[in-house]
Amino acid sequence: MASRFRRLFGFQESGLVLIVLVLGMLLAAFSGSVRLPEFTRGPDGARRRVFETDALGNRVPAFAVRNKFLNAQNLAQLAKDTSFIAIMAVGMGIVIISGGIDLSVGAIYALASVVGAIVLRHYGPEGPAIGIFLGAAAGLGTAVLCGLLNGGLIVALRVHPFIITLGAMAILRGIAFVVTSGQSIGGFPAGFRQLVRYEVGDGLSLVPLAVMVLVMVAGWVFLSRLAAGRRVYAIGGNEMAARFSGIGVGRSKLGVYVLSGLTAGIAALLSLGYYGAATSGDGQGYELNVIAAAVVGGASLTGGRGSAFGVVLGALIIQMISSGIVLLGIDQNYSQIIIGAVVIAAVVLDNINTWLGRRRLSMTSP
Amino acid sequence: MKNTLLLLLAAFAVSLRAADAPRALTIGLVAKSQANPVFQAARVGAEAAARDLSAKDNLAIRIDWRTPNEEDAQKQAEAIEQLVLAGAAGIAVSCSDANKLTDAINSAVDNGVPVATFDSDAPNSKRFVTYGVDDLKCGEQVMDELAKLMDGKGVVAILAGNPNAPNLQRRVQGAREAAKKYPGIVIRDAYYHKETAQDAAAKVEQVMEANPDITGWAMIGGWALFTDNAFKWQPGTVKCVSVDALPACLAYIRSGHVPVLLAQQCYEWGYRSVEHLVDKIVFKKDPPAIKDVSELIVVNKDNVDAYAKNWDTWLPK
Repeated sequence: MASRFRRLFGFQESGLVLIVLVLGMLLAAFSGSVRLPEFTRGPDGARRRVFETDALGNRVPAFAVRNKFLNAQNLAQLAKDTSFIAIMAVGMGIVIISGGIDLSVGAIYALASVVGAIVLRHYGPEGPAIGIFLGAAAGLGTAVLCGLLNGGLIVALRVHPFIITLGAMAILRGIAFVVTSGQSIGGFPAGFRQLVRYEVGDGLSLVPLAVMVLVMVAGWVFLSRLAAGRRVYAIGGNEMAARFSGIGVGRSKLGVYVLSGLTAGIAALLSLGYYGAATSGDGQGYELNVIAAAVVGGASLTGGRGSAFGVVLGALIIQMISSGIVLLGIDQNYSQIIIGAVVIAAVVLDNINTWLGRRRLSMTSP
Repeated sequence: MKNTLLLLLAAFAVSLRAADAPRALTIGLVAKSQANPVFQAARVGAEAAARDLSAKDNLAIRIDWRTPNEEDAQKQAEAIEQLVLAGAAGIAVSCSDANKLTDAINSAVDNGVPVATFDSDAPNSKRFVTYGVDDLKCGEQVMDELAKLMDGKGVVAILAGNPNAPNLQRRVQGAREAAKKYPGIVIRDAYYHKETAQDAAAKVEQVMEANPDITGWAMIGGWALFTDNAFKWQPGTVKCVSVDALPACLAYIRSGHVPVLLAQQCYEWGYRSVEHLVDKIVFKKDPPAIKDVSELIVVNKDNVDAYAKNWDTWLPK
């Protein structure tokens, strides 16, 4: 029994999974119930309100009483709200594992958004598939270019990534402002919006969730199955030792900042499709949310430790708390205090779990 | 038989009690940013309306304040979606980016939750009412008042706040258009900044350092005046007209730095929005028009003390 339990919860992120489960149970138990409108699909596939006849014979909209937290709409909403930060956190996690930091992800998110938006708007709401492809390519290309710029400057100038990405944050947001003149850009091809907002079942938008899972799996494959990923751990663990063992440190570092830029670009495209507009102010302050998600998810700021699954769980924990505050009707004035305290508690719990794991290992080893 | 009668009596008593119980309503309030005091006044207004209408109409209205710490339209859209799922009966929102919020507003309305906008509208959405100033006219009025103070000549800078806010863009446009009526007035530029008091005051200082020939400021929002030492010049040397008349701003009238303030009715943003929402949700009553325009109140040396008394009730306790 004990060995089965250890097999089930013996993996690196088990502490985080436990926190997610406990948070979920607490929210389900204490958030109460809500009356949600009932919908049905018409022959054309469009959602329509369900109506019923009340005691007085009036035709009134039908509602179903559901648990505020544990219902499909809320869980899909939670997944969607988590996805933007979680996708960026996978890239940030890789940077942090390498011993670096990327403060420019929020600005890359904004610049990729506005460049993608400008191309998409060029084709307009009736735009063809090629317009969608070019818009997406422009957004992603911009993000990759920004990552390349960050990585290139960090490697070439041998300046701490904090300084380079701090500068890049201001420069990229400034460029975003200049190219938009501060205007909000909308009016994208309908196909692009429908693709990202594609609904299944009871109006659930699961595309952001699906992309988040794909990015997480790609991050997991990169970090744990590819030699390039193992090199990232080696550099983060001891850069000097990695250099002496023949690892191309510069090339690897360049690669991690490109990946960070790419994930910011993916999140920006999803946001464009979901919310339908971009401004130069997008993603303001997101760098701190993304770093918090990565750290809560077990990425060590000193490098050499972390995982893609962990950082996604970190983003999920922060979003669960944020959404939970709304569901529980807690005064928003206390939300930052609660989130900050839980972030610290999550990190402490995860550290205790890791320490227990190491202790167990040292006790069992001969 | 006796038992049946007792049961019926008990059921009757319960139904009477249920009929007397106030109807619970949660109204979500999503402003642009926590850091801006005008939205704190809107929150106080909404809470006052909730108290007044609860007592008047036998309701139990709760205001659920869900405002991002800093301006973030995506966070506002998420807040609207979360409020709908948490069972809010109606939502009032001041839009940081109308384009980005339109889908969230439409989705809330499709889910049976009416939405009112205040201060900054989302004109292409399904909101049933919008309350606030006519932004174009607001910008024009700021420039007209300033031109009067400057005798129609001088170099003017516009303090413009968040460059992405559509309502502020319209005010800047209004100010620029009104300036065309005064051939002696030259607009140096519109200067954008983060909508915090410190950022706005710093922007004014930077601009004045770089452009010492500026003789007038058209402030389409009062951010800089939320600090108590925003201006380095002697009163009267540089003329200034500003939108907003929060308590901190009133000191600038008394000192002579800002002869005219144009007060937005920010307390009313919350109060009127809740009134509109309760009318819609409880009494199924729509407003006479989608646009409920509020006028700017001119505050100057003559009425500053009388106006200041309003803040005793408008400020959060």
